[in-house]
Amino acid sequence: MKSDALRGHLDALLLATLDGGQLHGYAIIEALQLRSGGALDLPTGTVYPALRRLETAGLVASEWSTVGGRQRRTYRLTKAGQRALATERTAWREFTAAIEGVLGGGPWPAQT
Amino acid sequence: MAGADVIDDYLTALDRRLRGPEHVKEDLLAEARDSLDDAAAAYRDGGLAAEDAQRRAVADFGPVNRIARDYQGLLALAHGVRTLWTLLLVVPLARVMWELNRSFWIGSWPAFDPAGPPPDWYLLIARANDSAAWIVAGAALGALASGRLLARRGWSTVKLARLSGLVAVGAVGVSLFGNVSIMIATALVDAARLLMSPPVGLASLVSLVIMLRLLVLARRCVVFSTI
Repeated sequence: MKSDALRGHLDALLLATLDGGQLHGYAIIEALQLRSGGALDLPTGTVYPALRRLETAGLVASEWSTVGGRQRRTYRLTKAGQRALATERTAWREFTAAIEGVLGGGPWPAQT
Repeated sequence: MAGADVIDDYLTALDRRLRGPEHVKEDLLAEARDSLDDAAAAYRDGGLAAEDAQRRAVADFGPVNRIARDYQGLLALAHGVRTLWTLLLVVPLARVMWELNRSFWIGSWPAFDPAGPPPDWYLLIARANDSAAWIVAGAALGALASGRLLARRGWSTVKLARLSGLVAVGAVGVSLFGNVSIMIATALVDAARLLMSPPVGLASLVSLVIMLRLLVLARRCVVFSTI
């Protein structure tokens, strides 16, 4: 999948990945790859700056904590992040419904 | 083992390209190392040799120049935010401390005599200088609040860092200009006032040094966000 196309949706994808609970950076990358069936192949090094930018925006919070016996920086959604994710999901459903209506290949509505 | 240095080499190259607050840089690089170690371990578990696993992990992480641009944006933004907070707190505090010091050593300003009241332009400069600290604090607070909103609208860290640098340079410029202007104006109108009280004179000098230090911080905002 083209990384340019992904970049525009990276924030929403990261928020969605954190919807299930707090994760450290590499676990977020693994979750992105797993849930996309391996289609999201953007450089993993771009994920961390994106997470920090979301933190600056107040949508994500992070802290160093012990995970599996190692110190890791873990990220979680804030309340504002949960609201932003809900907005992104609604916008995405409306977008895909509109595109599906045109590209989906179904019968065209009768002309009046 | 030759391959043991692939991740180290990558992180060293990344480190060399980054300028900004050291503690933020160390934090970013520590997290990057964790990620690279995790990725290399996953490749080793998949059957790759240690060196190949590290090379794959580094390749997945991305070209060092590209990744450095993103990381530099974060560092520039961190420095910008810290500078804005410093302006917000230090400039009004320096102003209040100077006024308290002045009221303790001098009390109310004596009248301008024998030449009569000071000219209108002098009063204008004095009032502008009195307001400058609060204008600077307001600008810093506004930039911090709007920066968060703009980050939510998808502004890149580099653009946000440039905005903070612009506000910081402007704010320090206003403050420094106000300080220097009132000193020059007082020297022209009634130079004896500048030497009326050594402790107040010293406080003025300290204020000037603080402004120069803030100017250095503001300049770094611009330097760090030039990518």
